[in-house]
Amino acid sequence: MSSSGQYSYSYIFKYIIIGDMGVGKSCLLHQFTEQKFMPDCPHTIGVEFGTRIIEVHGEKIKLQIWDTAGQERFRAVTRSYYRGAAGALMVYDITRRSTYNHLSSWLTDTKNLTNPNTVIFLIGNKMDLEGSRDVRYDEAKKFAEENDLIFVEASAMTGENVEQAFLETAKKIYQNIKDGKLNANMTESGVQHKERGGPASLGDSSSSDKPNCSC
Amino acid sequence: MADDILNEVVSPEDLTRFERLYHEELHNGSVSRMTQFNYSFCLVRSEFCADIRKGILLLEELFKTETEDIDRKRDYLYYLAIGNARIKEYTKSLKYCRAFLAIESENSQVQHLESIVKKRMETEGLKGMALAGGAVLALGGLIGLGLAMAKKGNKESGSK
Ligand SMILES: Nc1nc2c(ncn2[C@@H]2O[C@H](COP(=O)(O)OP(=O)(O)OP(=O)(O)O)[C@@H](O)[C@H]2O)c(=O)[nH]1
Ligand SMILES: [Mg+2]
Repeated sequence: MSSSGQYSYSYIFKYIIIGDMGVGKSCLLHQFTEQKFMPDCPHTIGVEFGTRIIEVHGEKIKLQIWDTAGQERFRAVTRSYYRGAAGALMVYDITRRSTYNHLSSWLTDTKNLTNPNTVIFLIGNKMDLEGSRDVRYDEAKKFAEENDLIFVEASAMTGENVEQAFLETAKKIYQNIKDGKLNANMTESGVQHKERGGPASLGDSSSSDKPNCSC
Repeated sequence: MADDILNEVVSPEDLTRFERLYHEELHNGSVSRMTQFNYSFCLVRSEFCADIRKGILLLEELFKTETEDIDRKRDYLYYLAIGNARIKEYTKSLKYCRAFLAIESENSQVQHLESIVKKRMETEGLKGMALAGGAVLALGGLIGLGLAMAKKGNKESGSK
C-alpha cells in the first residue's frame, strides 16, 4: 500500500450529519466523498462512515464523517455519535416542510450533546427540485441567522454547493483552532492534531490502528 | 483505512446507560425490543470481547423472534455482521452480510461492510475460509441462517 500520500495530513476533524430520514444525508456524503449521486439510496442503518482529505490554507485535513440514520427508531443510539464532533451538518429537505419544522429539535440535541464550539452548518437539500419547493430560502436564512448557523441550499443530485458546505465547515473549525477557541487533541473538541505519519482514528483513545480486541 | 466502522468504540457512559435500562426492564418482567436493540448496539461496539459476544446473542434472539418487521430484521443482520467482524469471526460476519444482500442486493452500506471484512480476511490470511463460508450459505440461504441461529443457544446469554 502506498500509505505516504494518503495518510499525510496534519489534522483530523470529526463531523456528524443529522436530520430527518430521507432528506439526503447519505447522498450528500456520497456526493462529497465519491463525486457521484446515488439515486436509490436505502435508509441508513444506525450510522455509516465516510472520509475524505481536504486542504484548508495549505494544510491537509482528514474529515471523519459519521452519517446518522434519520429514522426515529435509531434516535437514541445515534445520539452517542454527537459527542466530540467538531462539525455538525444539519440537513432538511426544501420540498418537505416537516423536515424543516423538526430542525429545532435537531438543534436542541446538537447543542446539548456537542461542545459550545462545534460548528453547525444548515443545509437545505434538494435545491434541484425548485418546482416542489416547500420552504422559502429567506425563511430558512432567517432561522439560520437567529440561531447562529451557517446556511446554504445544496443538491446532492447535481452536486451544487455540496463541496462548499463541507469545506466551509472545515474552514470555520480551522479558524477556531487558530483563534485558540478549540484545543486540538482534547477528544471533546472533535479535532486531532497529528505529526505527519501513520493513520489514526478520532473519538477514543482505544480505537486507533489496532483491532479492538484480541480473542 | 475506511474501516473505522469496526474500530470506533462505545463510550462507557452510553454502555452503562443502556445497560441499566435493559436490566430495569428485565427486572420488571419484559424487555422491549427497542431497549434490547439499543443495548446490543452498544455492546457490539465495546472494546471487550465478552460484551460483543453478549451483544451478538441478544441480536440473535431479536432476529429469531422478529416475525413481522422486515426493517428491523435488516437492522439486526447488519449489527450481527458488525459484531462478528469485531471479534474476528469473519466467516460469520460475511454470512450475515450475504444474507442481507440476498434480500437487498444494492445496499451500499452493507456492500461497504462486506468489502472491509473481506479485506481484513485477506490481510489476516483467511481467504479460504471466506470462500467456504460463502458456499455453505449459498446452499442454506436464509433458512440455513435461521437454523444456525436456533442451534446456538440462549443458554450462554449470561444476562438472563
Ligand atoms: N432530487 C434530489 N433527490 C435527492 C437529493 N438528495 C437525495 N435525494 C433522494 O432522496 C432520497 C433519500 O436520500 P438519502 O440520502 O438516503 O436520505 P437520508 O437522509 O440519508 O435518509 P436516512 O438514511 O433514512 O436518514 C433518495 O432516494 C435520494 O435519491 C437531491 O439533492 N435531489
Ligand atoms: Mg442515510
